[in-house]
Amino acid sequence: MTMVEAIAMAHGWEMQHDPSVVVIGQDVGANGGVFRATAGLQARFGTDRVQDTPLAEATIAGMSVGMATHGLKPVAEIQFMGFMYPALDQIVNHMSRMRYRTRGRLSCPVVIRTPHGGGIHAPEHHSESTETMLCHIPGIRVVCPSSPARAYGLLLAAIRDPDPVMFLEPVRLYRAMRQEVSDDGQALPLDHCFILREGSDVTIVTWGAMTIETLRAVGELESQGISAEVIDVATLSPIDGETILASVAKTGRLVIVHEAARNVGVGAEIAALVAEHGLYDLHAPVQRVTGFDTIMPLFRLEHDYIPCVQRIVDAVQLTLTD
Amino acid sequence: MGTFKLPDLGEGLAEAEILEWHVKPGDRVLVDQPMVSVETAKAVVEVPVPYSGTVTALHGTVGDIVATGAPLIDFDSGTVVGSMPATSEVEYVDSAKIGRARGGVAARNRAVPMARALARRFGLDLADIAGSGPGGLIKLDDVLAHAQMDAAQSQLRPEGNQRALAVPAGATAEPLRGARRAMAHSMTLSRAQIPLSTVCDDADIHAWSQRGDYMLRLIRAMISAWRAEPALNAWYDAASNSRILLKHIDLAIAVDTPGGLIVPVLRNIQNKTPEELRAAIAAQKDAAHQRSTTPEDLRDFTLMLSNFGTLAGRYGIPLVVPPAVAILGAGKVRKDAVAVGDMVAAHRRMPLSLSFDHRCITGGEACRFLAAVIGDLEHPQ
Amino acid sequence: MLEAPPRKPWHNSQMRTVAEFKIDYKQILDPRGEIVAPLPKFAAEPAEVLRMYRAMTRVRVFDAKAVNLQRTGQLGTYPSSLGHEAAHIGVGAAMQPEDVLAPVYREFGTQLWRGVTMKEILLYWGGDERGNDFGRPRHDFAWCVPIATQTLHAAGAAMAFKLRKEPRCALAYIGDGGTSEGAFYEALNLAGAGTLPVVFVIVNNGWAISVPVARQTATQTLAQKAVAAGIPGVQVDGNDVFAVRDTVAEALNAARRGAGPCLIEALTYRLSDHTTADDASRYRSAHEVKEAWALEPLIRVRQYLRNSGAWTEAEEQALLKDCTREVDAAVNEYLNTPKQSTDAMFDTLFAELPLHLREQRAIARKYGAKPRGH
Repeated sequence: MTMVEAIAMAHGWEMQHDPSVVVIGQDVGANGGVFRATAGLQARFGTDRVQDTPLAEATIAGMSVGMATHGLKPVAEIQFMGFMYPALDQIVNHMSRMRYRTRGRLSCPVVIRTPHGGGIHAPEHHSESTETMLCHIPGIRVVCPSSPARAYGLLLAAIRDPDPVMFLEPVRLYRAMRQEVSDDGQALPLDHCFILREGSDVTIVTWGAMTIETLRAVGELESQGISAEVIDVATLSPIDGETILASVAKTGRLVIVHEAARNVGVGAEIAALVAEHGLYDLHAPVQRVTGFDTIMPLFRLEHDYIPCVQRIVDAVQLTLTD
Repeated sequence: MGTFKLPDLGEGLAEAEILEWHVKPGDRVLVDQPMVSVETAKAVVEVPVPYSGTVTALHGTVGDIVATGAPLIDFDSGTVVGSMPATSEVEYVDSAKIGRARGGVAARNRAVPMARALARRFGLDLADIAGSGPGGLIKLDDVLAHAQMDAAQSQLRPEGNQRALAVPAGATAEPLRGARRAMAHSMTLSRAQIPLSTVCDDADIHAWSQRGDYMLRLIRAMISAWRAEPALNAWYDAASNSRILLKHIDLAIAVDTPGGLIVPVLRNIQNKTPEELRAAIAAQKDAAHQRSTTPEDLRDFTLMLSNFGTLAGRYGIPLVVPPAVAILGAGKVRKDAVAVGDMVAAHRRMPLSLSFDHRCITGGEACRFLAAVIGDLEHPQ
Repeated sequence: MLEAPPRKPWHNSQMRTVAEFKIDYKQILDPRGEIVAPLPKFAAEPAEVLRMYRAMTRVRVFDAKAVNLQRTGQLGTYPSSLGHEAAHIGVGAAMQPEDVLAPVYREFGTQLWRGVTMKEILLYWGGDERGNDFGRPRHDFAWCVPIATQTLHAAGAAMAFKLRKEPRCALAYIGDGGTSEGAFYEALNLAGAGTLPVVFVIVNNGWAISVPVARQTATQTLAQKAVAAGIPGVQVDGNDVFAVRDTVAEALNAARRGAGPCLIEALTYRLSDHTTADDASRYRSAHEVKEAWALEPLIRVRQYLRNSGAWTEAEEQALLKDCTREVDAAVNEYLNTPKQSTDAMFDTLFAELPLHLREQRAIARKYGAKPRGH
């Protein structure tokens, strides 16, 4: 199945086993979501548990706070990351700090899911990857899966987590590949990286849709005799620095790849982490291959914005030249 | 289910005849792939798949005439924006491992970046360098120290970067082995590590009551000098930049043999009687000539003596082998014209050359030691 | 029009009424093309009616072609304005050139009336920012995707006009779904509190993608949301170009005179899918769509023109041909416009490009894909 089908399947499993899980969002009900991520759920679980909300993102986020603090587990969809911003007030000022400011008395077991990133010829504002904004907020987790199986397992983990999770779903991966995913209710761990490929000459750290370009680059590098280790960060906040540092200790070289803009991107945090705890393992400076510090262009230029395979290959080569 | 109608194929053509379908119900199709060939009044036109999805029904078969704007084909597509396939044929090969599941990876060759760069510049392998930092971290000084050693040793490394000399006709290259090899090593080490300084003088021995046993007199003089100036009987520890003043003297004596220079050690000479010393010297000399000196008898000396004067030479610059810090070289005894008052006389004198490691021995210490040696040597008995 | 479900007052104590509201509704041209209310001046001039009818036809022909382009992979996702022609042309015709339009993303009729070109529309939906760089009007806002945010922009522009004492108005469109967004309420509130020269036009086409109006709100009308902001709110038949133009023109005149803002709800129907990638048959009945077609706006104007002897079938065909020719020419121009170079990602980010971006611009050039077709 594809990633988007795995996401729907995860919803189904968890809603079946936990009656407190409720799905809300625009067009999630009868329409099953604009990408069909919630297809079939309203027919199966009814209109009370799968609700089409009015068109208002602040509403979606705010009502999630209310629902979650009072016994429900809302899994809310923001239709595109570009429309997340009205919800930020509720996310930052309430969701992220409910447990903290009430000393544990109240908490927000909320998942907010949203399509992330570009590359599908979408209209303006539909291709955002502004995960840094969310990662900077203490009190919430930010997760970004890169395969159907990981989307299934990580979404289950996110729904079961007692704290807020922002679940960023790379649109470019929604239907890019198929994988056998067993509907067994097995969650994958949050706060852990996934090592997609083992290697010895360089560590490439990435997440989301850029895993595609990265794995292609790795193939090219292999043909040049360079062995690359690929790490999928998966949980962007809090980052599993241990896995990254262990890999850098092994390879001595690090390239970070992300679609989001370079300035203060999550790659900067990873580079700082390695500078602080892994400097003595580095043979060369850390390289970041990222989107440019400009507005995500309309789709005619989007593939000039999204880092291409050659940029990744060149960055790896740079770490290997003396 | 979305119904795609036959689009206006140009200039108000009202209809078209289906020539050939390129897709069928159940097919997963991508935008722009060939969907159907139709014939209009003007030409055969390829209509591409308008948007990705799954074909659910065809409205017409080959030969049917379809009006512009009439239903042509049904799709199930999956999105409100953008262009995305309904599914994928690409199989995802998943070999992912969960991070932090591995045991701790032993970090290898951790080095301060400057040290790493320096090692690279020197052509050194970090794996060969001992790190003095926490957890074996290689620091700049470690690389520098190793580089000096390594520069010294690079001449000895057969696999080193140097090209072998072309041996002229008639000559043969004789690899240094045994004592010669050891000497090459220790002298290179000495040169590499020790800032050597040498002070020379003469002992006027014309007053000796009996001619003599120069070795014994020298050894006695050195013991006496040590008591006056203990600093020269010491080891220098470069790693900790400290000197270890020793409470015993193990004296290394240079013995010239046909097989090369052997430097056996007389242990605890400060406690030995002259007879014991003579016996020890004789024993070591024998062993040296018989090439039976044990490795234990070559190690851990604290002071060195080279009586090269038995052969020839007045003054020299003898080399100190670390970790020792001083060597006394005695040249050939001869009659010299010396000033006695305002007159010139011929006196037998022994030339002396004291080399010392100037990292931990001052000129003053060295000269005081030498003065004490001379003082003892000039004693009639 | 929505009928209010009868509601009992929830309180049983004696309270006196301190405020009431009513919402008025206007229709001038009914679905059969009959006049049912006093004719406004412009409607009495055949040339003016014809002008509007031509514009409605033009945008419909353009719209169909745009959908077709998307269907054949030559345009990105496109939001059809099928069925909205009266609302859009009525608004366009009511506005002055110096007024400022804050559109959502569907109101091509208004924009074409005001001077935005077909090529610009196609460029934008074809993924090229140059489409937003309108030749004219230079002062209109660009298409606005984040729902309802444009209403505050319009209020802000109106503020600028007021501060500078210019006789200009701002007009913001919003959809029925958009009236659920906080920004919408805030814009109405601001406009009311500041007595700003801004007119808000809700195009209530019944659907916010798959969500019907009944799920958006409990209000009987959307116009009555004006009551909460203390500004006038009225409803019009959005398929009646006469009513739309007349009401909007009145509202703009009042605003221009300093009387403050107004909210106008135009009732129409989204005959198309939400966008070309949506499939409305998943969530609404073919029957409902069929019924709506009977009320669509071009029929009644055409009929009205025919009834007054001002329009023949031959003229209709000629008009269609003219429109098609114009559309085809614009499409051709659009299809032959090469994509921007990678420099376009940097050129207009700031007035002056900061240093670090010059490096990135160079990187983008180095790795830039070759210019492609569409």
